[in-house]
Amino acid sequence: MRLLDKLRRLAGIDTAQKRYAYGKDDRYGFVSASRVADTWVKTTCGYCSVGCGMLIGVRDGKAVSSRGNPDHPVNRGKLCPKGLSEHHILSAPGRATTPMLRKNGKLEPVSWDEALNTMVERIGSIQTRYGPSALGVVGTGQLLTEECYTLGKLVQLGFRTPNNDGNTTLCMASAVSGYKLSFGSDGPPGNYTDLETADVVLLIGANIADNHPILCNRLERNKHRTLIVVDPRVTKTAMMADIHLAVKPRSDIALINGIAHILIRDSLIDRAYIDAHTTHFEDLSAFLQAFTPEHVAEVTGLTTTQIEHVALHYGRARAAFIGWTMGVNHSSQGAVTVAAINNLALITGNIGRAGATPFSITGQCNAMGTRETGFTSSLPGYRKFENAKDRADLAALWNVDPAIIPQARGLAYPDIIEAAVTGKVKAIWFIATNPAVSFPNYSLFEQAMRSLEFVVVQDGFFPTPTSDFADLVLPGAIWGEKEGTYTNSERRVSKANRIVAPPGEARPDFDIFLDIATRLGLRDTLYPGWSTTHDAFREWQRVSTGRMCDYSTFTWDEIESRGGMQWGGERLYSDGVFPTPDGRARLHLVPCDPFTEQPNEEFDFILNTGRTVEHWHTRTKTAQVDMLNKMVPNAWLEINPIDAARLKLHSHDRVTVVSRRNQVANLELRITAIVAPGQVFMPFHFSETNSNLVTLGAFDPISREPNFKQCAVRIEKTTQRPGAKLPPAT
Amino acid sequence: MGLVRLTENGFVFGEAVVVDTIPTLEPEPFTFPSLIPGRELKDGEQYRFHFNMTKCIGCRSCEVACNEQNGNPADILWRRIGELEGGTYPNTQRHYLSMGCNHCLDADCVKGCPVDAYKKDPITGIVVHSADACIGCQYCVWNCPYSVPQFNPERGVVGKCDMCKGRLEDGLEPACVNACPESAIEIEIVNMANWRENFTEADSPGMPLASHTISTTRITLPENTTTTLERVDSGQVQPEHAHLSLVFMTTLMQGITGALIVLLLNRSLDPLRLFLLLNIGGVAVTISTLHLGRPAYAWRALKMWRRSWLSREVLLFTLFLLTLTALTAITAAPLLHLHIPVHLIAPIACLAIVFGLGGTLASACIYLVPARPSWNMIHTPIDFFLTASFLGTMLSAALCNLPHPVLLATLTAIAWSLNHAFRLYRLHSSKLFESRAAFSLLSSHLLRAHTIAAFALVALSVTLLTTGHPLIALAIGWCAALLARYLFFVSVVPLNMALTFIRSRHA
Repeated sequence: MRLLDKLRRLAGIDTAQKRYAYGKDDRYGFVSASRVADTWVKTTCGYCSVGCGMLIGVRDGKAVSSRGNPDHPVNRGKLCPKGLSEHHILSAPGRATTPMLRKNGKLEPVSWDEALNTMVERIGSIQTRYGPSALGVVGTGQLLTEECYTLGKLVQLGFRTPNNDGNTTLCMASAVSGYKLSFGSDGPPGNYTDLETADVVLLIGANIADNHPILCNRLERNKHRTLIVVDPRVTKTAMMADIHLAVKPRSDIALINGIAHILIRDSLIDRAYIDAHTTHFEDLSAFLQAFTPEHVAEVTGLTTTQIEHVALHYGRARAAFIGWTMGVNHSSQGAVTVAAINNLALITGNIGRAGATPFSITGQCNAMGTRETGFTSSLPGYRKFENAKDRADLAALWNVDPAIIPQARGLAYPDIIEAAVTGKVKAIWFIATNPAVSFPNYSLFEQAMRSLEFVVVQDGFFPTPTSDFADLVLPGAIWGEKEGTYTNSERRVSKANRIVAPPGEARPDFDIFLDIATRLGLRDTLYPGWSTTHDAFREWQRVSTGRMCDYSTFTWDEIESRGGMQWGGERLYSDGVFPTPDGRARLHLVPCDPFTEQPNEEFDFILNTGRTVEHWHTRTKTAQVDMLNKMVPNAWLEINPIDAARLKLHSHDRVTVVSRRNQVANLELRITAIVAPGQVFMPFHFSETNSNLVTLGAFDPISREPNFKQCAVRIEKTTQRPGAKLPPAT
Repeated sequence: MGLVRLTENGFVFGEAVVVDTIPTLEPEPFTFPSLIPGRELKDGEQYRFHFNMTKCIGCRSCEVACNEQNGNPADILWRRIGELEGGTYPNTQRHYLSMGCNHCLDADCVKGCPVDAYKKDPITGIVVHSADACIGCQYCVWNCPYSVPQFNPERGVVGKCDMCKGRLEDGLEPACVNACPESAIEIEIVNMANWRENFTEADSPGMPLASHTISTTRITLPENTTTTLERVDSGQVQPEHAHLSLVFMTTLMQGITGALIVLLLNRSLDPLRLFLLLNIGGVAVTISTLHLGRPAYAWRALKMWRRSWLSREVLLFTLFLLTLTALTAITAAPLLHLHIPVHLIAPIACLAIVFGLGGTLASACIYLVPARPSWNMIHTPIDFFLTASFLGTMLSAALCNLPHPVLLATLTAIAWSLNHAFRLYRLHSSKLFESRAAFSLLSSHLLRAHTIAAFALVALSVTLLTTGHPLIALAIGWCAALLARYLFFVSVVPLNMALTFIRSRHA
């Protein structure tokens, strides 16, 4: 029969008519029959932090179509290419389907019982020998809020190790720290609607056209705004700008301080707001004396005219929005850069009003959830480790001894890795993250992995570059296979729903956490009466009651029916009262230091890293979506035509990027005026050409976020290019 | 306010934001506007795409939405994003094209199709393709200057954007239009006569000239840019599909046509030789159907002989083989003691030759398409006829013991080589990027050896013939012709709309 089918195809009698037939979907009309659904499940996108509302079409128990939810306030029915193809991930290959345990050097399938018993046993043994803090846990902003909360309790109160952090430290930790420095608490004050109402929008190190495309639409609804984009690259976002400031790498602090200098000089500040709601203005004012337009021009590479004009724009704005992402955060000065941004907003009173906010556009779909519930950089509900009352409150809510709640933050992610190298941490449990690609300076990471006694990798996908190091692999459910909430950049809590069952023996992370607690004998202590993520949500509601991130005012049902609910209301700090001891926001004096690894003769380029719209993080997901992966199947290196000519390099040459640490070979060379002379850019998504082989292990002293964005490299030719040498195109 | 670029020379600013002009800080209630026409089409009007380059951010949602709408695999993109770039840092300009089918007024896909699978819809003007009628000959793929029709090997047929006709008929936006978060794509109504008069808005950097087929897509370009935008996808070209079945079919048919002429002139038409030619022809035709995605429906290719060169080629070669069969039968009649007038042999042979030469001409005309500049040259028909002459001479020399037509073979070989050499020279010095790129491919390390070998083999073949080894000479000569034809197919660089710098590449 099969042979007959093959012959029919070869002869052309069969043209796969059925597969390519069209049908009519009740809701969406004329469409490929393969995308016609019988039910549509409301959910929230599992990629970035924009938090788009979606409808996933299901037919015969399979996800067949993704659509934007037209009623969702964030995206009004629109989605980016990752969202539009997200249903494919639920039937994609490459999933982890069974627990695997390393036996005689090889990962072999085992039962859940064996897997989790081994895990509890091995970690128990390590903790007995080396102390509880010999376990490090690295979670993720990919989990549901309910799962983050559950994990935090399990790690801190169950395993009793304070060394609990997330991949969010590679992402927006600097924003968290910066907010805490200025306002006394984390929490992005504004919302996306502010993009629509601001008359000046200043984006610093934020390429939203590639990374948060749906926000571009929110911005474009605003017909009155002046968009200023600060970025050393001419990004897609820079092309949207009214003014693009192509600054030198890591000169953003100088620019921000320079703008503040001009605003103070020209009295374009809100004196009343400063007096009523801030401290340390006089210190700041004196400190900023040095940031004259001339000085700032020298540091940034801009002209004084440019700086004056931009300052004027910002100062004259009735409502000014400052948004930033990884250009600011991925820095060893990230936290203070955020504080400098906050300064600018505070001295002009651009906070707590419509259109006026310093706004961190965050990364992952639930980075915010981890910040609020996470038990990592703070206690759940933005409580402080150092605050005895906060600890007592939590102990009472949880009915546990206050003494078991840690009094200080444990090791942050990079410090956990370093502690693995130095032997202080002996076991690490990675959950839904792929540090073998995403962590800076791979060589050190590899050394850390080789030094560990026990590595657990819990992920939806197998194999991943990280699971190569695993002693135990736990297969997790992914987006679309479990139910709970995500919180987006604008504090909007949205519902993510289960569309299909996880493949094979994969289980929701929540179930895994509960199972481990059972094996630790702590199920009833930590999770009394819990069986679903909704139980976790209900407890989290009690824990967050009265806190800034108060989830007690809405139910799952309300979240779902109203397209998400924003904790803290539309915006924070409308009353000008900040969660600091004196109720005032603090202005910080932020010096602009040169970045750590400056180029020299041997390593004469500054390497910048970033993303492209088609891919997500380390491509564990998007590499499995054929459409996305074929759009951009490999990494590239952008180089300015002047440098390419000097090095006698041609478009599509294969080049090697060499740093002091390691090298990345076989990058497709793109000669382009997108980047400045002396700078090169490559995307970090590709494990095959891992940018983190060359990046630097330099971290922000406050947020512990890595400085992914600048390191010194040189460029060499890998091989002759494969194609024809072509004539110029015109 | 337009884009303001700041340079060391200061910058031209739009008007500074005057606070009073800002009406309100309340967001206006937002709904996406309808992006399809609100009225029915009148006589002389059709639908078209409008692409607003100033709005597109290159997010590629349209491409994904198109594939989801049509259930296409990832290798096939009926809507494609192209990148354009210009200027020097930091005054760099980056823009995008998002293009589906341009639903041309003079669509070459429609004209060339041998089976009438294409229709320009009389009401909407949409160029619609029928997968059921299609036989997968891919002639439309060669004809379209935008490389819009794409062959789907899984189906054996071509497919293309139909402006989501099924959705428009239900009053719904096409998938790409609906998916675009920036409302950069919309459907408009265009008056066809007016557009034919003035279609300058169809031209854009990264697009082949609209005058080829009068594309109807209107493109809004960024205003006041002094920067020249250039496509970024042309730094590397891949060899095209070799179409091996056509390499064999064309050379074989040309060889037997030539041989028939030489044999007739030589008065060497005998049943055995004719039978051999007939068999070669049969093999050639059989091989040629393998080029089709749907060989079982090869006969449909006869349908559009009034319009399509491909139909004409099929028709003429069919007649050629039928006449050749008759000729073979007549020459064989005496062996079977049948009385057939011998004086019919010459006229029938002439008729067969006319059909053979006609088929060869039709064959060459197939490749004379503006969308494929390195094919669209006088050298193509010259090559086809010289190949017929060269292989014909070689073949008949191998079939007959005497006299060896050394002079004819030498002359054709020289002419053949000169034609190829001149073609290479013209490709090299062409104004068209695609022609020069074809030369680059031929002279690249991928194909350079092949190119040189083709010339060398022709010379060797003639030498062998001269030294009395007609069979080996034929074999070598045929290899040369096959190699040259292979290069003809793989080195063509089609016109195309701009694509992205990084992309999957398919042969």
